[in-house]
Amino acid sequence: MSVIEVKNLTFSYDDTRTTIDDVSFEIEEGMYTTIVGHNGSGKSTVAKLLAGLLEKKSGSIIIDGMELNLENLPKIRNRIGIVFQNPDNQFIGSTVRDDIAFGLENHCVPQEEMDGIILANAERVHMTKYLDHEPTRLSGGQKQRVAIAGVLAMKPKILIFDEATSMLDPSGKDEIKRVIRNIHKESSLTIISITHDIDEVAGSDRVIALEKGKVAMSGTPHEVFSDVEELRKIQLDVPFSLKLQEALAQRGVQTDKHITMEGLVKELCRSRSNM
Amino acid sequence: MGNITLGRYIPLDSPIHKMDPRAKIMAMLLVLIAIFFPAGWTGYAIIFAAAALTIIIGKLSFTFIWKAMKPMLFMLAFLFVINAFLLKTGDPLFTVGSFTLYSDAVFQTLYIAVRLLLMVMITTCLTATTKPLDMTLGIEDLLKPFQKIHVPAHEIAMLISIALRFIPDLIDETQRIIKAQESRGVDLQEGKLTDRIMAILSLIVPLFVSAFQRAEDLANAMEARGYAPGEKRTRYKVLKMEGRDYILLAGAVLLLAGMVWLAYFR
Amino acid sequence: MPISFEHVSYIYSKGTPYEYKALDDVCLDIEEGKMTAVIGQTGSGKSTLVQHLNALLLPETGTVKVLDRTITASEKPKRLKSLRGDVGLVFQFPEYQLFEETVLKDVAFGPKNFGASEEEAKKRALNALKLVGLGEEYCERSPLELSGGQKRRIAIAGILAMNPKVLVLDEPTAGLDPKGTESMMKLFHELNRGHGKTILIVTHDMEQVFRYCDRVIVMEDGKVRVHTDTETFFRNPAACQEMHILPPALIRMKELLKENGFEVPDDILSIDALADCIARQVKKHG
Repeated sequence: MSVIEVKNLTFSYDDTRTTIDDVSFEIEEGMYTTIVGHNGSGKSTVAKLLAGLLEKKSGSIIIDGMELNLENLPKIRNRIGIVFQNPDNQFIGSTVRDDIAFGLENHCVPQEEMDGIILANAERVHMTKYLDHEPTRLSGGQKQRVAIAGVLAMKPKILIFDEATSMLDPSGKDEIKRVIRNIHKESSLTIISITHDIDEVAGSDRVIALEKGKVAMSGTPHEVFSDVEELRKIQLDVPFSLKLQEALAQRGVQTDKHITMEGLVKELCRSRSNM
Repeated sequence: MGNITLGRYIPLDSPIHKMDPRAKIMAMLLVLIAIFFPAGWTGYAIIFAAAALTIIIGKLSFTFIWKAMKPMLFMLAFLFVINAFLLKTGDPLFTVGSFTLYSDAVFQTLYIAVRLLLMVMITTCLTATTKPLDMTLGIEDLLKPFQKIHVPAHEIAMLISIALRFIPDLIDETQRIIKAQESRGVDLQEGKLTDRIMAILSLIVPLFVSAFQRAEDLANAMEARGYAPGEKRTRYKVLKMEGRDYILLAGAVLLLAGMVWLAYFR
Repeated sequence: MPISFEHVSYIYSKGTPYEYKALDDVCLDIEEGKMTAVIGQTGSGKSTLVQHLNALLLPETGTVKVLDRTITASEKPKRLKSLRGDVGLVFQFPEYQLFEETVLKDVAFGPKNFGASEEEAKKRALNALKLVGLGEEYCERSPLELSGGQKRRIAIAGILAMNPKVLVLDEPTAGLDPKGTESMMKLFHELNRGHGKTILIVTHDMEQVFRYCDRVIVMEDGKVRVHTDTETFFRNPAACQEMHILPPALIRMKELLKENGFEVPDDILSIDALADCIARQVKKHG
């Protein structure tokens, strides 16, 4: 069942150019979807439209069976959580505890229930040791984990990550990608991640590639990555294993398309012993 | 930044630190009012004793209070000079040439100095023992009755707490921009007036641009997490008045009453 | 040797409870005309190290020699200004330092601070803009209305216009998309090879280090852990892993092939050479 249906969505920041141009896609419940595209392709705008932070120009967005409009917005806000790019600018509370509480306060959760919810969600992102820490004493990765806990505390059905790892160092990136994967594994949450990280894309269920505000490619990572020509045309990174396969094909070694190195090496091993 | 002590929170563990911020704010206001009654030296001695007691219980040091006072010494010296030339009542103390210093000039200045000292002591007792966030919660609660006359109590408190939350970030940002512009040859210490103006512009414009960016990000983050100004929301931190808070309030009321009595009914 | 560190230590917030030793007895020689990558985890001292190069920070102990100057703790700030023109330092997210009304004025700001005449500054600004790939049509536009990648190019042009001999960049590709990263790195490569600038890049991106840099410095806990040439560095993936550095894809692929019984010589450092090597072995067995 699709939890998100986007039909003929159009949006522009000003009248001179259209940022999102007649975009349609569906996202199935429980799927881990990545949205890719170079900077300026409109991918962050799509995230903000889905979270109801921008108002569409035309078309429709149906989330969990409800049309996204001003009337339904508060209800839809309960179902969608979004984690943004900059770790500093989404930390609202003065401590980790207060920051997770912020969303609960907005959703009128009774005060006596808050401590339990805060603790449970801090545990999901392994931040229980830091509950009373101030943001200045946390690393970028830790701040993003707090942001995730704050969003999870509101029990959303859909979680959007808007380049949530792009400002982190490699260990912070790994930390957050691991947290996202774990959340997806242990819950039925639908995850949408806007990312440049090719490994994250390779590990997702579905990929949507945007170019100039339109959907340029969509499908499984395998389907999308296999079309190397199109990938290059929309200026996206080609996974290393596919680049190597191209080079091998030029030397007369044909292989199936593999988006991971492990897959490619396995096949190479087979063809070495079979031939 | 490290030298400013006025208004800074000192994280310690004392009965005063544990008190309800509302009680502390109210008590401070009452005592501040008390200082303005002309209760004479006896009155000031009593208030001083009360403030000193609070400082001791709050585990604060008197050097800390003294440091907070220091920036005001210059102002007091200036005031003394003005008083010395203008106030010609009371007993003449001594004469140098055509200038005579009268006792009232000395007493008037001393009077103001003592009041100032007391005010600094009292406000420091509050700010040094109360976390900024607790202070905003206290202010929010105390302003609640005024919501009927459209004082946006919650919005004011939210504004203050966000400002407090972002001050360290903005200080970092400022330092980064200073270094970046120094790398482009900006000299903040010296230079012609026009160069200095450019130097300051090169700091202020980027600072504003990034502050606006922050504000936009923050607004999105808050909205996405369901925040809507004016809407009903619950609160995680609930303030509770206990025995010691009532004692503090009672003490402050008593002090105020005492000053009124000393000033008008004796 | 244009740049050397001799027993340099630097301590933040000295004498407070937050005291923190960011550089610890660093000794280092950086070769002229090379492109050197400075890598290491957050907090390892990379940014502190590079801020010594144009004397934004003065060493607590030890000396830094840059070009013909010697910098010690007791240096007078006045003498440092000309150094900042010779060693251009581009900070992280440099687009946040733009402030003038037009692109041209912003880029000309640096040279003017170093005493260039209006005319001269403009000429240098135009040159610098050409170097970063922005044509004259951008000159009169407001830098604040351009895209993120363009803003960053303008900020870098603002440093290049000072005509530095050494260019130091602190995470210049952070937040850019793969395409933007690629063209940014090509720009630095061209500045190094074509214009003979000594370049230091602080980065986390091993693919770029592998492709473009000649030398690698690894910082760890305020010390220089490794300083070697790039090829040697990536020949030992085990050491990389131990330092929490993920080697570039090509190196990881080589390791994977070796684990699965392929013979992969150490000197294979390009995708074509690797393909040749694999093709030979697959066909030989056939």
